[in-house]
Amino acid sequence: FSPVGKMFRAVVRLSTSGVRNLARTRPCYSAPLSARCYSHAKVETDEEFDARWVTYFSKPDIDAWELKKGMNTLIGYDLVPEPKILDSALRACRRLNDLASAIRILEAVKDKSGPHKDIYPYLIQELQPTLTELGISTPEDLGMDIL
Amino acid sequence: MAHQAHAYHMVDPSPWPLTGAIAALLLTSGTAVWFHFHSLTLLTMGNILLLLTMYQWWRDIIREGTFQGHHTPPVQKGLRYGMILFITSEVFFFLGFFWAFYHSSLAPTPELGGCWPPTGIITLDPFEVPLLNTAVLLASGVTVTWAHHSIMEGERKQAIQSLTLTILLGFYFTFLQGMEYYEAPFTIADGVYGSTFFVATGFHGLHVIIGSTFLAVCLLRQVQYHFTSEHHFGFEAAAWYWHFVDVVWLFLYVSIYWWGS
Repeated sequence: FSPVGKMFRAVVRLSTSGVRNLARTRPCYSAPLSARCYSHAKVETDEEFDARWVTYFSKPDIDAWELKKGMNTLIGYDLVPEPKILDSALRACRRLNDLASAIRILEAVKDKSGPHKDIYPYLIQELQPTLTELGISTPEDLGMDIL
Repeated sequence: MAHQAHAYHMVDPSPWPLTGAIAALLLTSGTAVWFHFHSLTLLTMGNILLLLTMYQWWRDIIREGTFQGHHTPPVQKGLRYGMILFITSEVFFFLGFFWAFYHSSLAPTPELGGCWPPTGIITLDPFEVPLLNTAVLLASGVTVTWAHHSIMEGERKQAIQSLTLTILLGFYFTFLQGMEYYEAPFTIADGVYGSTFFVATGFHGLHVIIGSTFLAVCLLRQVQYHFTSEHHFGFEAAAWYWHFVDVVWLFLYVSIYWWGS
């Protein structure tokens, strides 16, 4: 018996038993809803996500580049940021003397809301104390909301 | 005739390093004079001297290596190191422009509308001419490899054909890019988008022209029987440079044309 022949038979045996195992433990197509084929990576909760971003913008010595990078990354996600995140970002704008970016953030979240026209007024309502405190006008106040 | 007890090449005194240095001085001062006083005299003199220096210096290297046999294996090894180090320095050169691009595009300033591409910039469709350009350069990478194998296998006619094809593809790329530059809806003056786009792709285009010229010189030499199947370092250096140019394009394409749109 050649060692190659033995190896070949061993491989064949392993693969056929493997196929049977596959059918038993991975019933992806006919499984009940509870047996999903998700990856085993840790999933961040909404609260963790929000906290992470509030922390990012709360950095006392955040620099202008980090602010803009953070905003661009945040706006790239498939969500409208919570008021607490926007509040943190607006305060970062205040620390950096960047009024333009503060107003731009409001324009951006209005755009992110898409067809859901009720989100933006809600955000402005939640952020009104902060907007008043920091002296930030909304695009509507400045007549910038009309093209 | 003098003999040496080592395999290295003690080069004869040459005026070309001096003329090259003078050319560099004339080019730099000439550029400054052109900017401030609108005179092209110094710049033109610098360009002529540069071209003469390059022609005569490299002609002398070909004489020393191909005709006089000074390029022994250790000498060739040194030349290889030299070319690799030079290409590495060019990599760092381009790294700077990629840094500038990513700095500007990852964190776009309010003046641009806080977004990338900036407000008002109409980008080029990455799946139109830029994709064709990618295919052209990748194909030229294949043809230059074909040429190399042809040289190594002593296939003279095929080497000439594939090298010619490589150069034609290089010219085609330059032509297409030229058309794109002409038709682009934005200019170098259009904010940081225009600056990063044209400086990065512009220097790349210059390197394509340099690479095509290097390959053309190799074609001339191949036709004139300079290369042997064992010894053709000039061609290898040109091929390495050409692959480097191709890789830079791939990074440009993915970063600026595709991601940046």
